[in-house]
Amino acid sequence: MKDSIITAAMKRREMLILLVCFVVANVVNWCAIVKFERPWWEIFSQIGYVVVTTLILYGLMLILRIAWHLFMRLAGKK
Amino acid sequence: MNRKEFLADCGAKGLAGVALSLFPWLESCTPKAQQEIKGEKARIGIIGTGSRGLFHIKNLLQMPEVEVVALCDDYRPHLEDAAQYFPKAKLYDDYHRLLEDSEVKGVIIATPLYLHGRMTIDALEAGKRVFCEKSMAFTLDEALEVYKCRERVGGVLLIGQQRLFDPKYVKAMQMIHEGKIGKVVGVRNYWYRNNDWRREVPSPELERRINWRLYSEYSRGLMTELACHQLQNGSWAMGMLPEKVMGSGSLIHWNKDGRDVYDTVCAIFTYPNGVNMTFESIISNKHFGMGEQILGSEGTIDLVTAMHYTDEPAPKGSGMHQLVEQIENGLMSNSVFAGTSWATETSALAPGLPIMQNVKVVSGESSVGAEADGSKELIEAFAHAVITGKQPDKVLEESYYATQFALLADKAMKEGAILTLDEKYKIPYEPLK
Repeated sequence: MKDSIITAAMKRREMLILLVCFVVANVVNWCAIVKFERPWWEIFSQIGYVVVTTLILYGLMLILRIAWHLFMRLAGKK
Repeated sequence: MNRKEFLADCGAKGLAGVALSLFPWLESCTPKAQQEIKGEKARIGIIGTGSRGLFHIKNLLQMPEVEVVALCDDYRPHLEDAAQYFPKAKLYDDYHRLLEDSEVKGVIIATPLYLHGRMTIDALEAGKRVFCEKSMAFTLDEALEVYKCRERVGGVLLIGQQRLFDPKYVKAMQMIHEGKIGKVVGVRNYWYRNNDWRREVPSPELERRINWRLYSEYSRGLMTELACHQLQNGSWAMGMLPEKVMGSGSLIHWNKDGRDVYDTVCAIFTYPNGVNMTFESIISNKHFGMGEQILGSEGTIDLVTAMHYTDEPAPKGSGMHQLVEQIENGLMSNSVFAGTSWATETSALAPGLPIMQNVKVVSGESSVGAEADGSKELIEAFAHAVITGKQPDKVLEESYYATQFALLADKAMKEGAILTLDEKYKIPYEPLK
């Protein structure tokens, strides 16, 4: 089995994607607060929802990236 | 529940303090009032030791301030049943003799309805402090006579309208009067049972004596035995008295045993502001049991279950929670291609909120009485009044009108008419709010 090397650039990229997902999840929370006329302290009180949403978004991104990677590899072989 | 628990129950929900200004008849429950009678005894005689009399006896046994000194019943087996609990009590088969007994300071009358008026008047005139079971009297005139007698001779007269002493009703009425359900727009009462309302009769000649409830010669049936309690709720919640009454009664199911009181009744009481109060009772179907509901423009209070239902949508979750729900509903819902232009409105499924903790719900099935329905507190208030001689405020007027409107509804059913209470039956009345 080969050793996997996670480079600093890869870590930075993943951190950046996670951060983007977190920001998007927060934006969704703000939109929900506005849409459903909820108090603004839900920005903090609903942080659990935001974290879960972040992870879901990150997971979705991961699936899309893997799918894209596989697609590109298959396309390259042909 | 004893007085202390009653007050704690009320106090826990913020009733203490305001209770006495809004509910002055509960004064006897206060520690100060209890201190007033410390070490004293209410010497009581009981007239009528049948099922309801025995129910009171079981409550009296738990009251250290009460001494039952005399018992009276003209039906020996009932008298002997009661005598087991109070071996030292004097026994009478004629209530006049009991009233002559100077040791007796107060009397509890738990006899058939047609005897209530006469016995109450005799007892008041004999200088006794009186508790009489509801309804107060057998006819409109007799109820007025009883009221005037009490006015004339003074003294104490309480009628068995125990809901006035039930903490959940007290709390509910406080909420209603504070506007928690908005404007009262309807009062709905029903009492369904599925039994023949009969008592076992040891020999046929005792039929009418024991099953007096079933004969119009002695009883006004469902209106005086059941409705009377619930009609009083309406006036309490509305803070006014009904203006007109209409109704219909029939004997549709238990009609082969010789009874002549209705087994199905439905009455509408209209208040001066147009609000209707309904009462329906059927004793051949018990699915819905007993219900007493005050309907407001912003919510509903079910008095029997002590639940508060708001017409406002239930509090929703956070914005994120609602968003997720909306997405879920969007994904899972069926597509609608066409639909009716109307939809049947079913009753709200909102669970509601209890107005008090540890509420004991009374099903209304028992013909004798139920635990924690206010009866014990009422008798305690009577015992206090026997000792102090103080008439609890406002309750007599409430009881009087509850009886009058129950009797008026019965009359309306018999005459098939819309009736109003004649001016001559009106007494000074201050609403309970």
